[in-house]
Amino acid sequence: MDVKYKVNRLQTTNEIRPLVDKHWADLRTAKERGEKVAWASGPTFIFAYAMGMKCHFMAGYSAYCGGIGAGEEVLKVAEMTGDLPETCSYHRLHMGMGEAVARGIDINPQAILPMPDLMVAGRLCPEMSHYAEGLNRRFDIRVLPIDLPSVYDLKDQPRLREFVYRQFKEVVIPTVEEVCGKPFDYDRMSEILTVLKKVATLRNQCWEFFKTKPACWTLWDYGVSIAPVFYLMGNPAGIAYYERLLEELQERKEKGIPAIAPDGEKYRLYWDGWLPWAFLGKFMRKFTPNGAICLCGRYPWEFFPHPELIDPEHPVETWADLYYGEGRLTYHFSPHGTVDLISELIEDYSIDGLVMFSSKTCRIMNLSQPGVIDVLDKKYGIPGVIVEGDMIDPAMISDAQIETRLEALYEMIDSRRR
Amino acid sequence: MTIAIGVDVGSLCTKTVILDGGNNILSYDIMRSGHYYKGAAEESINNALKTAGLRKEDVGYILGTGYGRGAISSADGQVTEITCHARGATRLFPRVHTVIDIGGQDSKVIGIGDNGRVTNFVMNDKCAAGTGRFLEVMASALSVDIGEMGDLFFASDKNVEVSSMCTVFAESEVISLFAQGHKKADIAAGIADSIARRVVGMVGQVGLKEEVIMSGGVAKNAGVAHAIGKRIGTKLLIADEPQIVGALGAAIIASERI
Repeated sequence: MDVKYKVNRLQTTNEIRPLVDKHWADLRTAKERGEKVAWASGPTFIFAYAMGMKCHFMAGYSAYCGGIGAGEEVLKVAEMTGDLPETCSYHRLHMGMGEAVARGIDINPQAILPMPDLMVAGRLCPEMSHYAEGLNRRFDIRVLPIDLPSVYDLKDQPRLREFVYRQFKEVVIPTVEEVCGKPFDYDRMSEILTVLKKVATLRNQCWEFFKTKPACWTLWDYGVSIAPVFYLMGNPAGIAYYERLLEELQERKEKGIPAIAPDGEKYRLYWDGWLPWAFLGKFMRKFTPNGAICLCGRYPWEFFPHPELIDPEHPVETWADLYYGEGRLTYHFSPHGTVDLISELIEDYSIDGLVMFSSKTCRIMNLSQPGVIDVLDKKYGIPGVIVEGDMIDPAMISDAQIETRLEALYEMIDSRRR
Repeated sequence: MTIAIGVDVGSLCTKTVILDGGNNILSYDIMRSGHYYKGAAEESINNALKTAGLRKEDVGYILGTGYGRGAISSADGQVTEITCHARGATRLFPRVHTVIDIGGQDSKVIGIGDNGRVTNFVMNDKCAAGTGRFLEVMASALSVDIGEMGDLFFASDKNVEVSSMCTVFAESEVISLFAQGHKKADIAAGIADSIARRVVGMVGQVGLKEEVIMSGGVAKNAGVAHAIGKRIGTKLLIADEPQIVGALGAAIIASERI
């Protein structure tokens, strides 16, 4: 008889929504309180946070819009006002929101944010340049560009670390000081990092429960819990959240409660690429009935997987080191770095198959995916599939195509087990 | 109760294959899917049963595949068309390692290991360029019956490039080529080659490994099959009825489940 799989929902994850809603509500009303507002892309918003600016992060806003179901209508405004539908949906989302406000087009009020005093434009990909360019050209927003090159060879890291560190010290800090009209608050940056270190340490303890067989939670649960190590950075509520989550996971393990009922997963999957913020539920409904769960991924592992390296006493230095030192966060975008990281994850989390999510409007992680599947198949004998879609744009999602690919992956795993 | 049935409900056509206990093909059926997949599947099963002189009560297992696999009410199980095409192809040609399947709205290349298992596959994404539907639109633009298109290819004596990947834009391109005075046969050859170029990219992603079978309705177009074979540098194996390879694979899996 076929097993009827069902998600065992975590209780703690219900507590994230009020935290997230408060963050965005505070941001929406920041200007009314005379506070400065920054928007940010790349790992740069900590400098704005340190200055007490209310800050919104590009992917975080996109995740939020996906969560409140506002993505599609805002994307449509962007297209209506001149953005091409094939361009980065994060970019379109922000342009759409800005244009909706400027032109008085009705959109979900929760999706409306104040335009920033400064765009802290960390550039990890070409689209991020265009995003900042669009804000500057269309809305006259001041842009602070920061180049964050990928590390292809670890021997280049010290040189690139120096390049990025000098940008932080010589460009970023003086600019935020000028915009805010006060000296940079190194103490606040240290406080933020102290909280981040605690949150990420707890989060890593939670990651251990991905390793159990059956697993106690899924990557999707972590996806909805990501804000405390992301745009809620520095908020002590994140510590309390992860303490409760850890407690619940420990309890699950003791009581033998798996992430999916009745007896846990049949397929343990790795997820590559961005999380499909607007379609987490849709994908969950494609995984769960087949007994499949995602447990780890390259993008979700970008959020400070080595908290032991965070040194709050040297805030700017440690920030550079996380990305261009031992933290190696930018190395994981390079061909070798990608394979190294995924290999580690396959081994640590006993992965059966790879789902390479190939976003149609952001190719930064997609370019190497077919080659990566090939290399890892040869190394570990596990199959992978490429699933086309998008982070938030429903026009780029095709249910039947996704289902066939995922089911074919399960069949390949079964075939190799026989 | 050793009779096994495989039903492949595709976007354009529904195919059914009936096997006896010795895995011999007793009958098959191919019909247009129309808009009511559930009805098409049942009708196709009944047609094939009638041809074989069997009743539904004689059947041990029905396995569904294809995009409409979820709509087959009498199916005992479902398997994707990826696995089914691989099984059907290796049954027809035991030394096959690559399947090129081009159906109504779907094209895929499947890599098969020495043990007959799927090792890798790629499919077209949401765009239907280079599929059966694409050929239908092109035949209409050329004002020829789709069956004639393959023969037209061989009457070509000049290279004409159809570069657009979008079906609608390719149709405009064909009209523009007519306006430039190009011959129907040369344009037909250009269309076949445009499909071949697209397929070659997919074959490259999976990795070409001989022997190579071409399946699906488009395999009946000799011009396209020739163009693909030329581009990938190998002769393609084509079954007598290339449209039933997926349904055959489904029937083989069904027979294993009895």
